[in-house]
Order: sequence, then C-alpha cells, then structure tokens
Amino acid sequence: MGIYVLIACISVPLFGSLILPVLGRINTKLRNAAALIFVATAFACAALALPSVYRGTPLSLHFEIPLGLSFGLHADGLAVFMAMTASFVASIIVIYSFGYMKNYENQNEYYMMVSLFIGAMMGLVLSTNLISIYLFWEISAVCCWRLIGFYRNDLTAQRANKAFMVTVAGALIMLVGFVWIYGETGTFDLTEMKGVLVPTGAVVLILFGILSKSATFPLHSWLPDAGVAPSPVTSLLHAAVLVKIGVYVYARLFSVTFEIPDVFTVAVPTIAAVSALISAGAAMRADDIKRVIAYSTISQLAFILLGISAGNEVGLAGGMLYILTHSVAKGGLFLCAGIVEHGLHTKDLAKMGGLYRRMPLTAFAFLLCAFSVMGIPPFGGFFAKFLVIESIMETGNVTIGIIFIIGAVMTVLYLTRLFVKVFLGPEPAHHSKDDIHPVTREGSRVMVISVVVLGVVSLLLGVFVSLPSGLVSLIGRPL
Amino acid sequence: MVNFVSSNILLLMILLPIAVGAITWLVRKSYAVMLLITVLYSAANLLMALVLYTSPIVYVTIPFASFGLDIAFSTGKYSALFLVFAAVGLLLTGIYSVSFLKDKVYSGRFMLYMFISISMINGALLSDNLGIMLFFWEGLLCTLAGILLIGNKSNPKTAVKALALSGTADLLLMLGIIITGQQAGTLYISGIEKLPVVGVSGLGFILMMLGALGKAGCMPFHTWIPSAAEDAPTPFLAAFPGTFEKLLGIYLAVRLTTDIYDLQPGSTMSTVIMVIGVLTIIFAVAMALIQKDMKRLLSYHAISQVGYMVLGIGSALPIGIVGGVFHMVNNVLYKSSLFMVAGSIEKQTGTTDLRQLGGLGKKMPVTMICFVICGLAIAGVPPFNGFFSKELIFDAALESHFILYAGALLGAFMTAVSFLKMGRAAFFGTPKVPEGKNVDSVRESGIGILLPMSVLAALCVIFGVANTLPLDRLLQPALGFTGSFSGWPHSAVLVIVSVVVLILAVADHVYGSIKSGSAVNAADHIHYAPVLRHIYSAAERGMFDPYNLLMHVVNLYSALCVNIERGVSWFYDVAIVRAVKGAGDVLRSANEGTLAQYLSLALMGVLGIVAIFFLVL
Repeated sequence: MGIYVLIACISVPLFGSLILPVLGRINTKLRNAAALIFVATAFACAALALPSVYRGTPLSLHFEIPLGLSFGLHADGLAVFMAMTASFVASIIVIYSFGYMKNYENQNEYYMMVSLFIGAMMGLVLSTNLISIYLFWEISAVCCWRLIGFYRNDLTAQRANKAFMVTVAGALIMLVGFVWIYGETGTFDLTEMKGVLVPTGAVVLILFGILSKSATFPLHSWLPDAGVAPSPVTSLLHAAVLVKIGVYVYARLFSVTFEIPDVFTVAVPTIAAVSALISAGAAMRADDIKRVIAYSTISQLAFILLGISAGNEVGLAGGMLYILTHSVAKGGLFLCAGIVEHGLHTKDLAKMGGLYRRMPLTAFAFLLCAFSVMGIPPFGGFFAKFLVIESIMETGNVTIGIIFIIGAVMTVLYLTRLFVKVFLGPEPAHHSKDDIHPVTREGSRVMVISVVVLGVVSLLLGVFVSLPSGLVSLIGRPL
Repeated sequence: MVNFVSSNILLLMILLPIAVGAITWLVRKSYAVMLLITVLYSAANLLMALVLYTSPIVYVTIPFASFGLDIAFSTGKYSALFLVFAAVGLLLTGIYSVSFLKDKVYSGRFMLYMFISISMINGALLSDNLGIMLFFWEGLLCTLAGILLIGNKSNPKTAVKALALSGTADLLLMLGIIITGQQAGTLYISGIEKLPVVGVSGLGFILMMLGALGKAGCMPFHTWIPSAAEDAPTPFLAAFPGTFEKLLGIYLAVRLTTDIYDLQPGSTMSTVIMVIGVLTIIFAVAMALIQKDMKRLLSYHAISQVGYMVLGIGSALPIGIVGGVFHMVNNVLYKSSLFMVAGSIEKQTGTTDLRQLGGLGKKMPVTMICFVICGLAIAGVPPFNGFFSKELIFDAALESHFILYAGALLGAFMTAVSFLKMGRAAFFGTPKVPEGKNVDSVRESGIGILLPMSVLAALCVIFGVANTLPLDRLLQPALGFTGSFSGWPHSAVLVIVSVVVLILAVADHVYGSIKSGSAVNAADHIHYAPVLRHIYSAAERGMFDPYNLLMHVVNLYSALCVNIERGVSWFYDVAIVRAVKGAGDVLRSANEGTLAQYLSLALMGVLGIVAIFFLVL
C-alpha cells in the first residue's frame, strides 16, 4: 500500500477540493465535514508514512515522463515531519472555521481554497522534483491570493494583490535559479543531485523565492498587510503553514540536498538577524492585534531560518522543532485574536483591555501559546529556541547569537505587552457598560475548543518533547 | 538497593509536588484540609531531602529531548544540601502561606503555583545537565507571573516587570549555558572539568553568573522586588524573593565559581563580581533607609543582603564562599521571619505603613520578640547568626581590597540604622493604628503564623551561638574546604570595627530621632541631606531603575523600526506602483499612432536583426 499513501496524501485534499463547492450547494454541513475529512486524510496519510521513516526505508515513488523530466515523491523524515505539522494545524483551523466563518458568504470558495492549499502543501513537501515544487508553490500562492481577498472589498483586494505579486515575483526569480541548476546538472530531480555544489548566483536567486514566501526582511511587507483576511486564513497562511514553505524549501534544498558555498552560513543568519530585530521592534509599537502577531511571525521565522541556515545538525533539528512548536502556538495566537475580533468588532488594541473576565478560556489559551512562542519552559518553544541558539553558537558566531538573544528578550516584551493590553488591565471606558458591548463574550464552543487544544498541545510538546525531537533527529540522515 | 530507593525519591521530589499542588487546589474550599496536606507534604519533602543528603550520590538519566538535552539528575556536590534548605524553607513558608491566606479566595491558586514552583526548584537543584537545569529554572517564570497576577489582573505592572527582568536574566543564562556547553564539550555538570575564566569561556561565565545573580535578586535585575512588595501577597515575598529564589541563585553562583568554572581569587572577573556585590549592598540599603513602608523596606533589604553573599562568593576564597553560603542560610532565616512579622502586623492592623503604626509591642509581644531577634541578626550584632556570616565575608572582602571592605561596612551601618527605625516606629512609643481601626482590637496573630516566625527566630539564635552546627556539620562536608570557619571570628580587628560601626548606627539613629522628633523619620537627615536629596528623588522617580532604562531603549529602538517599516511599505506601496505607472506613461507617449513612426521603428528592427545575423556569422 506504501505509495498509495503518498498519492492519497496529496490528491485527496488537492482534487477533493474541487467537489467541495458542489457539496456546498447540496448541504453546507456535508461540505464542512468533507473539507475536514480531506485535510485530516492528509494528516493520517502522513502519519502512516511515519513507521517507514523510523525503519530507515522511507516510502518513495518515482517515474519518468517525456522530455527528460520525472515525477517523484519521497517521504523522508523531513517531509513527513513537515506534512504532519502542516496538516495537523490545518485540521484544527478547519474545525475553528466552522464557528468563525458561519455567517459569511462565499464559504464554498473558502473551503475549496483551504483544501486545495493543503493539497498543494503536501505535494510541495513530498516532491523530489524542482518543477513540481515550483508548481505546487504557485498553487499555494493562488490560494493565498483568493483567501486574503476573501471579503472582496477594495482594501482586501489590494492587500491580496500585494501578497500575490511579492511572492510570485520571488517565485519567478527562484525559477530562474532552478533553471540555472538544471543547466549545471542536466536534471530537475533532487534525488540525483545529492551533494552537488550550487553556484552562488543560483542560491541567491532561489533565496529571493524563499525569503519572499517566508516573509523575511525586506521581502516581508505583504505579511502584516495580509491581516485584513479572516482570522483562520491569517492563522493558516500567515502563521502556521504557508510561511513555513520557504524555510522548508531551504532545508530541503540547502540542508539535505545541495552543497552551498560557505558564505551562506554567515550571510543568511545575518539576514535573519536583521529581520528578527526589525520586526520585533515593529511588533512593540503596532496598535493592531493581528499586526503585532504578524510581526512576531516575521521575527520567529528568522529564528527558524537561523537554525536551518547554520549548517549543522543541531540547527536543522532545532529549526524543524521550531516550525512545529511555532505553527501550533502562533496558529493558536491568531485564532485567539480572531475570537477577540469577532467579539469586539475591532482589531485596535486601544479599544481592548480586561477581556480575561469575558473570555477566560481564550485568555488562558492565548497565554499558553504566548509562553510557547516566548520559549519559556515547560512549553515546546523552549527546546526549539535552545537548539537554534546552540546551533549558531556552534558555528562560533557569538555576535549573531547575542543578537538573537536580544530578539528573544523582545519576544517576551512584545507578547507580554500584547497579552496585557488585550486581556488584563481595566476595560476601556466606552465598553465598561454592558449596554454598549452586549455581544462581547467568549467565542462559540468550537472556536474556544480549537484554541484551547492548540494551547494545551503547545504545553504537551514541551513536556513530551522526546516524541518530536526523536523524529527531527532522524532528519539529518542522508536522503 | 539504596541507589534504587534514592533515585525514586529523587524523581518523587520533582513529580509529587505537582500532584500535591493539584490536590490542594481541589480542596481549596477547606482551610483545614489544605493546611493538613501542606504540612504533611512539606514534612515528607524535608524527609526525602534529608534521605538524599545522607545517602551516597545517585545519578538518574532519562532520555528526553535529543541532542544532549537528556534529563540527568544527580545529588552530588551541593545539590542535596540546597535541597534540604529549600525543604526547610517550604515547611515554614508553606504553613505560613496557608495560614496567612486563610480567608482569601485565591489561596488555592497560590498554593498550586507554590507547589509547582517547588517541583521546578527541586528539579533545578538536582539537574546534572545544564540544559535541563535551565528548563526547570526558566519554568519558574510561569509560576512567578501567575502568582503576581493573582488579584492584580487589573493592574499587572509588577508581573510585567518581573517577567521582563527575570526573562532577560534567564535568556542571558541560556546563552551562557550554551557557550559553556560548547567550551566544555558537554552539558553535563559532572562531566565538566573546571573551565578557565578567559576569552569565550569568560563570556560564558559572566552570562551564567548574571543569570544566577538575577534569580538571587541582585542588581541589575532586582527592581521588580520592591514593586512586588506593594501589590503581591506577603507570603509571596517571604517565599520567593525571600527564600527560594535566593537559594537557587546562590546555588548556581557557588556551583559556577567552584565547580563549573575555575574562578581565581584576585582575578579581574572575581573583582567585577565583588564590585557588583558591593554596589548592590550600598544602593539597595540606601533605598531601604528612606522607606516608610515595612514591606518595601524589607524588600530592599532582600536585595542588599544578596550583595553580601555575592561579595563573599565572588572573592573565590574559601572563607568568602563559606561566608556567602552561610549568609544565605542566615538570610533565609531572618528575612523570612521579618517578612512574616510584617505580614503579622498587616493582618492585624491592615497596613504596613510605618507612619500609621506605633507601640504594637505590648499588643503583639511574640511578633516583637521575633522582630528584635531577627533585626539584631540582620544588623550583624553578636552573637546572632548574621554577625558570624558577615564577619567571614568581611574577612574575604578585606583580603581582596580595602575599598570593597569599606563599602560592605557602609552597608552594615545603613542596615542597622534602617532596622532601628523600623523597630522603634512599629513597636515602641504610643500605640497607634490606621484611622478607622480600633487600637484595642489589635491582638497577637494565630499559631499558624507565630510558629514559623518563632522557629525561624530561634534558629537565628542557635545558628549564631552554636555556629559549629551549620558551619562544620552542614556546609563544610558539602563545600569541602579544608580548615574550620566556625567559632568566634579569628580577627579581633574586624570585630572591633564592626562593633564601632554598630555604635555609630545607634548614635546616628538617636541623632536623627531627636532632630526629626520621631522614630519613623529618624533617617530623614540622610534622606534630605544636600546632595543626597536630589539623588534620592531621582531614584524614587525610577530614574535608576534598569527596567525603565530597558523600556526606554526598547521604545526608542522600536520607533526606529517603525520608521524603517514605513520606508519598506512606501517602497512596495508607492515607489513600485509609481515606477510601473511611470514606465507605462513613457511607453504610451512614445506611441502616438502615426504610420511613419511605426514604419521607421519596424525598419530599424529589421536592420538590427540583420546586423546581429551578420555579426554572429
């Protein structure tokens, strides 16, 4: 059954998405259930590929197609880890959407795009061919474009266009890099390129794609602006899954496949350091709840990039662990922000305060997720942060290490500030009377359960860190 | 067999408190059951600690996170000793907390956080792996923030401050641990050969030391403690800044100087640490001097006393290290007791403001006796315990540099002055209570509060008079230095100087009382002295508060980042849009639609292609 698992992992959400609008015309509940089943199938299939990874014989599929091209899927530790992380968080977000999206129009398109996106994500993660990676990459960009512009007004359309154009421009430059590599090696197949030294120019071109997708300074500007999307979209695309594509491809290409010139083990961490510090500073000042979290995402992505680009095994493992813990925790933070936004009909921090009384469970979940992002034990984020910092110190670059410690201090500061502004302190004067804000209460049950699950998982990832860390320690092994 | 029992006890010490905390929270409605559980567990915890202390060293290793982050525990070196100290601390502060918070709605939550903290503290003390130690150590941030938020959700300033300062210290510790691990090639403490304090290792040492000092409440990470004195419950002050955090910080500081690193007496790094110690003593005690609120006054002393310990340990001399650890033990005894005294008065009168209090000695005799004993101990009056540990530290300071000794003496002078003030204002003179309270309704506190307080005071006497008991029986075997430090200080000069300082302090207090006309204002002549007045008023406004400075820098920096962000957004939203539109306009203006223009362009194109064709051929 081996390879069917891999094919199902991609095609169920990818092609299943196409029938969701049809189902939606028949029955919305049926459509919602189907969307969840498609995304959860991806998770189940990825999990089924796990035993083979532990056995050391990853599931693999490969066939040639004309014109010297080929199509291949390969479920090694890196791919399975990423696929499970993405599909797990996506499943929770789909469940949350049942509550959040209930009263909006165009839900058929919404669920179709989410499912299509997860299919593309699975395809990208499992592919062994540069051209398929590029194709899936662009499918994800199209989904992103439609989903950011979900509300269909001028502002959201403009922001969606910005995100689409920045990431697609990056991807096209990256494609040139892929073609360059083809010119050097005569193949797009990653399995045949193990250990090939890639020219500096090609790496730079590919980095444009990676850094624009993973929203790294100065190619990050689209991400905070994309906060106009519905919160589950922001959570799915701009925190938990989409932005991880860039760092994943970095790991796939430059950590486990190609050899790259040594200059990048200094250059990329430096870019990451700048990105981490500037976005952390911007997060301290932002006055929109989702912008703070978005800047935080940019800052945390820099930590991931740092670990993966440090060029050692600890860094790769730490970076992957960071992807997992950050996806869960940051996904949770955005979903909490969504509950707050739903309740208050505003994203302005100045109009919030004292919400722990009205939304105790959301506040609790937010705090758990925030602790994990800050990297405070016993939450999962601690180990990821520790390993990432350890990896850069292993390269002997103390300066970058210190910069990232400053970045970590800033993380504590801006997330504490955010929590205090939203949930603690006095309620702002204009809605201290119940008659002005009668609707401000805890979100619907399914939404609250989703965020609490993410918060608790953040805690469990720290207490039972041996499970994910066992898997990431396999990643360093050869393809 | 012994090994098997010990290793299970070791794991129980970490896991059991969490379960007990959960149970305590479940039975939070019943005061008696809560008290019973707390007493039973604290006693069991002490018993287990003693078993570990007396058994041979055990090592426990459990696979956890990969990459050298496996759980590894050991009872070696000072771990078991500090475990016993922490267990004693829990027994006293635990009972006190339950009694003090009897009628508070949050008592269950408080005890839950307290027991989780105990699990973390025991874990940090027992860890043989620096990474795992950090796991437990930093985990305390969660419970710290939790306790500080209890009852203060509308005004979370202190919690934010504590989280920011302690978080910073902990992240520095993380960097220090990683550097140390890399320099040593292992994260296992038992596997580290003493590293030299030079170069990159030196950086690792100072970063780890800052983490340790930050936990102990030393400068520059101390300023949340006086803030906590204003709005946190008194048992928190006695238990956390007063006891547990000191234990942890000093444990790591000692471990760093004697075990992980090889700090040489007289080296630059040793001097740096001693200077931090002296500055902490002087600045904190100078602030304590002018406080009119008991809890704030005590909280500044909680900081200044750490200065003595750091001064002793930083000297890297055996006499200084023994003195520093002994001083930590003594400080836990008298400082916890003093916080309990403040709490006891607060419970009866509803305030800790010295201006509104007076003459409580007759109403609360036991509280007063405890205060007198502990006040004399902290002031360093013989034969109480504080005297002996201070003399050891003075000895080490004098051996390092005269200036350091002089600074420490100045601190001792101000300590004595501030306790004379506090004692006389609260317990002597005419009885006085805040308006709205009846003087006659003030009674002595209950047994649950008096018992821990009296036991601590009694220990202050015993550890002073019979100081061979703690020094030779407890500390010496664990620290393992040769020679004995017990008995009367061997240097008569040091003792005479100390006594002179104490006499000067009394003289100053008498002068101040007469000049200002009341005991509570006895330090005003220092507070409002010509130059000091301005410094004090700046300090009271928080000008020297590292937290304020940090936030100031962060604010400036983030303003810069916002501007950079604006620039980047402008590039995407305006510059690119304009460039594209501008290029379009230029191209459009080039196409005016005349046939002649298109023909000539087409002709030029054909010519160009022909030219290339010929060139290539």
